[in-house]
Amino acid sequence: MTARRAWYRMPHEELPPRALVVQLARLGDLMQSLPAIAALQAQPQIAAVDVLCAAPLASLASCMRGVDRALSWDVLRWHAWAERWVRDPQTVAVEIEAYLKTVMPMPKPYEIAYNLNQHRRAIVAATLVSERVVGPGERGPLSMELPPWADYLRHVARDRGANRVHLADVFCGLCGIMPPGSVPRLRIPTIDLPADLSSIGKGRGLWVAIAVGAGEGERCVPPVVWRDWIRAFLDANGEGHVILIGSHTDRERAGAIQDGLSSLCLGRIWDCTGRTTLMETAALLARCGWVVGSDTGPLHLGAAVGTRAMGFYFARARVHETGPYGQGHWTWQAQSQEERPTAVDVAKIERWPIVESVRLLVEGNATACDGWRLWQSALDRFGVYQVAEDAGSDSGEPREDVWRRVHRPLQLKARTHEYV
Amino acid sequence: MNTFEANMMGLAAKAPTLAHAIREAQGGALAVISARSGRPTATAGGRSIHSAYDPWREAEAWAKAQAEACHAGEVLIVLGVGLLYHVETLRTLVPRETTIGVVVPDMSELHDACRARALDGWIGDVEWLWGSMERIAESVGKTGRPLRILTYAPAAALHTAIHADLDRLIRRQIAAHAGGQLHVAVVGPIYGGSLPIAHYAVAALEQLGHRVTWIDHSVHHTSYDVMTGLKEPRHRMTMQSRLADLLGQLTIARIAEDPPDVVLALAQAPMTLPLLEHMRRKNFVTAMWFVENYRHLTYWQQVAAGYDHWFVIQQQPCIDALRYAGAKQVSYLPMAAEPSIHRPLHLTPEEQTMLGADVAFVGAGYANRRDLLPRLVTDEWGFKLWGNEWEGAASLAGVLQRAGARIDTETCVKVFNGTKVNLNLHSWTGAGLDPDADFVNPRTFELAACGAFQIVDNRALMPDVFSNEQIVTFGRPEDLVPHVRAWLRDDSGRKEIAEAARQRVLAEHTYVHRMRQLLVQIGLSRPDRVGTVLQGERQAGALREKSASVPELIPMLAPFDGRERVELKDVAARVRARGTTAVLSREDLLVLMLDEYRMETRDLL
Repeated sequence: MTARRAWYRMPHEELPPRALVVQLARLGDLMQSLPAIAALQAQPQIAAVDVLCAAPLASLASCMRGVDRALSWDVLRWHAWAERWVRDPQTVAVEIEAYLKTVMPMPKPYEIAYNLNQHRRAIVAATLVSERVVGPGERGPLSMELPPWADYLRHVARDRGANRVHLADVFCGLCGIMPPGSVPRLRIPTIDLPADLSSIGKGRGLWVAIAVGAGEGERCVPPVVWRDWIRAFLDANGEGHVILIGSHTDRERAGAIQDGLSSLCLGRIWDCTGRTTLMETAALLARCGWVVGSDTGPLHLGAAVGTRAMGFYFARARVHETGPYGQGHWTWQAQSQEERPTAVDVAKIERWPIVESVRLLVEGNATACDGWRLWQSALDRFGVYQVAEDAGSDSGEPREDVWRRVHRPLQLKARTHEYV
Repeated sequence: MNTFEANMMGLAAKAPTLAHAIREAQGGALAVISARSGRPTATAGGRSIHSAYDPWREAEAWAKAQAEACHAGEVLIVLGVGLLYHVETLRTLVPRETTIGVVVPDMSELHDACRARALDGWIGDVEWLWGSMERIAESVGKTGRPLRILTYAPAAALHTAIHADLDRLIRRQIAAHAGGQLHVAVVGPIYGGSLPIAHYAVAALEQLGHRVTWIDHSVHHTSYDVMTGLKEPRHRMTMQSRLADLLGQLTIARIAEDPPDVVLALAQAPMTLPLLEHMRRKNFVTAMWFVENYRHLTYWQQVAAGYDHWFVIQQQPCIDALRYAGAKQVSYLPMAAEPSIHRPLHLTPEEQTMLGADVAFVGAGYANRRDLLPRLVTDEWGFKLWGNEWEGAASLAGVLQRAGARIDTETCVKVFNGTKVNLNLHSWTGAGLDPDADFVNPRTFELAACGAFQIVDNRALMPDVFSNEQIVTFGRPEDLVPHVRAWLRDDSGRKEIAEAARQRVLAEHTYVHRMRQLLVQIGLSRPDRVGTVLQGERQAGALREKSASVPELIPMLAPFDGRERVELKDVAARVRARGTTAVLSREDLLVLMLDEYRMETRDLL
């Protein structure tokens, strides 16, 4: 039995040469972790950064600039062990240890794990594989006390109106570092696509990828809206092409989108839903000029591979927190008519900015749309921020004020490391 | 060396007594012929025991389907011998450490198999269960491991009665040793005859030591009644249907907050098929005790496939009908009595005057009762009629008590006790006696438990539950009055029969017996889940034994009493209770991790 150390931080302690970032959430969150990973890797005292992520995302994580090893966390096996433990604790204990040996590359735990998730599973995982946790869980795996940035995130989830700090930049704060000041990219290796998809992105014309689904039902753009959007885009751009991106659960949705389109359109649409691996999806997105979607993983994946992104944000999605990370991305944010800003349910959206967004994409001209506000992303030393296209006022709290108030600055002096 | 001798050599090393018994057997139980594939196959009494084309492939298909359902640590009991192709292929498909026991009701059959095929490669790798069924059941019950009974039907059909006997004996063994505590959620109806049955089931389960969550929908009866007042039938049906849906969602919410091992619904519980399918997806074991006449209440057709287990108070053709409608497991489970309520009572003189009678009937005014009961209105004896829905029965108006008001259970029990001859007439919507008289109503058991004498209309399933020395029945309407007359004159005879019936109820027909049988049946078909709990596999003492080679787990189980049921959530709760500043071991962290993943699946709503 190994006793755990008490949860405290030693002053003047050197940063370890190999760090672990724990990001067990979904694709979008993993993409939003790129800046934190890049910023950690840029620390001169850190030789390498490993990432612990959900098994299906490990191949993508290994393409992240700055990631040395992507460690695969098999959620299904943990569920199965949880079901079996009481019937056969011995065998389960043996299997878990064997699994952890294959997952963890080193015989000893990591000295530090930077945990980017607030849920208890990630906190316990980070505690299990490391000597010390930075981020949620740093006061102990059972502690309800949150570090400042984690507390800020929880506060934002409850009262969202004034926040302007992007989630990806909060992740940097959680790790005790400033945002990298640049936009890190995924380096997708050259892969062979299925033969019928290999011509995507080649030849003339503007290629647009549409992420047809979303992780949560409330964030799904209705198929009829996508159908109208595609029709409008193909009409406006005689040489344009559309690829439909999504998982196997989006196939029916993709079918519904295409059902209402003329056969002339269908020749310029590639339905890739449920047909590609994540790597292949990333490769396809990299070949496109634009990726369009709601606040969903493929949208952020597209931004991460360097494709320009256009988002439709409604329900609980907010551009200031989770807009596509980088410069020059556009996001339409649905506006509540109420005095106090509230989430706009998809059922209450009377008009979608279809004509306006197609015009913006094809001609580069931004025009207003009732019920929506258009934002464009920009970058400074505090990370990504949004600029309203209408140049109207923004009542959000300045990011510099937040950083000054919340951040536990990790100022690293040359060759001596003090936590301030 | 011929095939038979080679087989005997292979067996003799491990089971010399069995080898001797096989030699001594005559053989000839099976007719062995050649299948198209060239392998031997067999028939018995003109019926094929194995495929006439390719018995090996047939056996492979059977064994593969069985093996997929098996879990590590189970003991597999195979019913059906034949030429043992199915056992041989099963042996290759399940892990070597899995024990396979083959029941041998007829040694001649095994003798034939040993003559027909070479079995020496594996004959010593299975346990041969032979001898008396009592001995087999005892040895099987003592393994202490989950049991899974696999039936190779063509061969098992040769010994149906013996296998049924063995099945009964095994259940008795398991029930006798069952000590583990289950968590059972009992879902009752909004109103109706099965509501008191639900109460009795809850009490019985608790008496057996199980934890019960009683989901009582009768509290919403008032709302349901209000909707009955709607004049437009369409409105009434819509509103009542929506209320039932809402109550189904309430059931889901209750079990989400405290997930049970088994969800037991009583007849007319508001559980729809979509709800049951949702429960199945979330891995809940569901059971229905359908305590109604399947011919009269036919909604079972819509939900047959939804429950994992059906328990019914009728046999064939009810069981077949349910299976045809999609029910997977259907078992006979007759009604019962609750001795703490249905008991002998001494009435005060005032009570005797008010509630007692020479002859009495308690019940609602169904057509057959309106037809038969007027025969009992006579000057020969005092007759009292109790119950409701007797409007328009003019010939019974003079004997109807309390103006036809419904009487409560306590009063009912006093009436039973105060009456010399209780008439128990099963309800039917026609005149005379029910032509499909099969199931035995709860009243029969309740009267018997009270030690009250009764005359009952003949029921096909009566001999299963009471003998002629314990119950008096009549088969024709014209026999009713002569029976009453005769038994009114025989005080000692009435007492003797009533006491015999009461003893029978106490020995075999209480709700405790029924709930035990129900859980054993579910446990047998779910050995890896319910079965292990019933057998005490989830108790702290058993877990400590299972953790012997992982000593770090022992301190985590130390706070629990040996017989206390322990689940992962209980161990994790103890870890969490040590407080945020506690120093946690690696094993503590792993338990917390597993519990977090366990909790993540309980997102029912």
